[in-house]
Amino acid sequence: MTQLSSIDYSIPEVAAELERGPKWLRDRRKLSRDAFNRTPVPPRGLHLWRYTDPMRFLFERGSVSDSAFDRDKDAVHQLGARYLRDGHLSAFVSDLAGRDVQIQTTEELTARSVVVSPLSEAVDQHRELVELYLYQLINQQTGKFEAMNGALWNDGIFVYVPNNTVVEQPIHLLREAGQAHSAQFPRLLVVVGKNAELTLIDEYSGGSTSTDDGITYSNGAVEIFGMQESRIRYVSVQRQAPGVQSYLTHRARIERGATMLTIPLAFGAAISKQNFGVIMNGPSADSKMYGLLFGTDHQQFDNHTLHHHAHGHTTSNIDFKVVLGDKATSAYTGLIRIDHNAEFCEAYQENRNLLLNPGTRADSIPELEILNEEVTCTHGATVGPIDPMQLFYLNSRGIHKPEAVRMVVSGFVASTLKMVSDDLRERITQIVEQRLEAI
Amino acid sequence: MSNRNPILEFKNIHVQVEGKEVVRGVSLTIRAGETHAIMGPNGSGKSSLSNALMGHPSYQITRGEAFLDGRDILTMSADERSRAGLFLAFQYPLAIPGVTVANFLRSALQAHRGKEADMSDFRKLLRAKLAELEIDENFVSRYLNDGFSGGEKKRIEILQMSVLNPRMAILDETDSGLDIDALKTVAEGINRFHNDTNGVLMVTHYQRLLNYVKPEYVHVMMAGQIVTSGGPELALKLEDLGYDWLEKEPAASTGA
Repeated sequence: MTQLSSIDYSIPEVAAELERGPKWLRDRRKLSRDAFNRTPVPPRGLHLWRYTDPMRFLFERGSVSDSAFDRDKDAVHQLGARYLRDGHLSAFVSDLAGRDVQIQTTEELTARSVVVSPLSEAVDQHRELVELYLYQLINQQTGKFEAMNGALWNDGIFVYVPNNTVVEQPIHLLREAGQAHSAQFPRLLVVVGKNAELTLIDEYSGGSTSTDDGITYSNGAVEIFGMQESRIRYVSVQRQAPGVQSYLTHRARIERGATMLTIPLAFGAAISKQNFGVIMNGPSADSKMYGLLFGTDHQQFDNHTLHHHAHGHTTSNIDFKVVLGDKATSAYTGLIRIDHNAEFCEAYQENRNLLLNPGTRADSIPELEILNEEVTCTHGATVGPIDPMQLFYLNSRGIHKPEAVRMVVSGFVASTLKMVSDDLRERITQIVEQRLEAI
Repeated sequence: MSNRNPILEFKNIHVQVEGKEVVRGVSLTIRAGETHAIMGPNGSGKSSLSNALMGHPSYQITRGEAFLDGRDILTMSADERSRAGLFLAFQYPLAIPGVTVANFLRSALQAHRGKEADMSDFRKLLRAKLAELEIDENFVSRYLNDGFSGGEKKRIEILQMSVLNPRMAILDETDSGLDIDALKTVAEGINRFHNDTNGVLMVTHYQRLLNYVKPEYVHVMMAGQIVTSGGPELALKLEDLGYDWLEKEPAASTGA
């Protein structure tokens, strides 16, 4: 199989993507295309590429196709209707391989002028907002794979919450990946107005069930903007099938007095490389990130987080937890950046890695770029197996060893799950328990 | 000696920690309805003996035999020993962050019964035991021993004992870290648990707890061996004289 080395018009489907949308968008796509073609594949020693082979995210030439999604679409839509009914949601969006976006919302949401729309429609209907914000945080300068998404995203999702509007129930986005030998580029743009409130669940699932049957390539980009005093909760759940090679870049920027809670959860895919970043751009902006990944088999995870204090008097906290079984590996790189003029910031970062098996491996790389001296900043990392004394304590009360392991791990992840709303917590707990049964 | 059935019986137990022998041939029989106390100064090997009997991975029993209700426990794993009816209240109980006291107790009870514990029955049982030990009901939704004071940990150990209702309870320095009110509550918990069908072994440095839980038999352990045994009066003598006088006597009273 030939990997795609340049985005050009020799593939009709690629040509069609590049010509999609109004002129301003086509121009932006071409900037991204040129950047992708110009940028060499990152060498393995390069920052953030030490642990993952970039070739794994260059998809096969034939894999951009409008027929990427061959599953029963009705089934996904019915699932959405059920989620909407039982899940106490204000909207459910199904995004089939970045090509077919279906939206179900409550009337209440529409009445309050909240926009939940396919991105392909929003580029016309909400042009001012989309043109202003799309590509602002993730664009051709971010990196080769971000440029790839920038050129080829087909459809995506646009969410806009007007000023002073509180969306009480979560909006749930389900991004179903396409079949084996397909590539998709999901994109999400979220703009939350002043003093507005939003909870967003962004769930990535589906795709090839085994790399032996062929690979599903997924390359996503998420941009979130929180205006002054806004309150945003964003939960990302990656539970793609074992034949997916998954890449995701997330950037959020929040203004004065805004709070952002980001919960990145990763359980699926053969390889998963994710980069979550929040920029605090005004005084009293506060970002909290509670991450959890749980790997088994030969899964490979490479996660980055960024907390960028671009303004003084901002606060951030990261707690990123990793559980690995079988032969799974993880590398976590956590960067705290405090700008030169950003005084009196507070930044905390913790990364804990629990290894359930001697065949696992976890690397933890804290990075600090602190250009101002008037700050409080701490970071910590631990990597190790379950404390045998904890197991003995549970055993001494009659609890069998596998059950004792299960209890310690669920205890380890409990503080992260506590941050998630009840209905979602139940489902994530199920995923964690399925993982544990497989050990 | 009563003619009741032995609950816990061990003979000539030797224990090693990191290759060093810390218990050097200890034998004891505890029968149904009996309360024993092993006293001794720090480092005498009494805690090592308790941990080794429970199956602690750091304590190796290199010689000797031990039976619970006639069943050889040394071939059992720690969880099997517990389900067979052995209980150790730890001197330093470990914290398990993220696991609530209630979930932990329910899992332990299920493991003992071999089936799901009915939720409402379990709640009823737990509420009754909490009241007896004067533990606030909110306590059970806290994470096990996570941020607990020394006294709270000891109460929770006794709570576990009363919920699991073992055949044989070994209490390792259960009195340490308790103020006088907590000591009385814990002692009442032990007395309420103890009956004609089970056994209690208290392992302690001080005789403080023995004012409230009266042992019929007191054994003194020094340098890994039982050096003398007697009745409750022995504990009082130790209270007055300390352990020094024993060091001057030969270890003849063990009958070895």
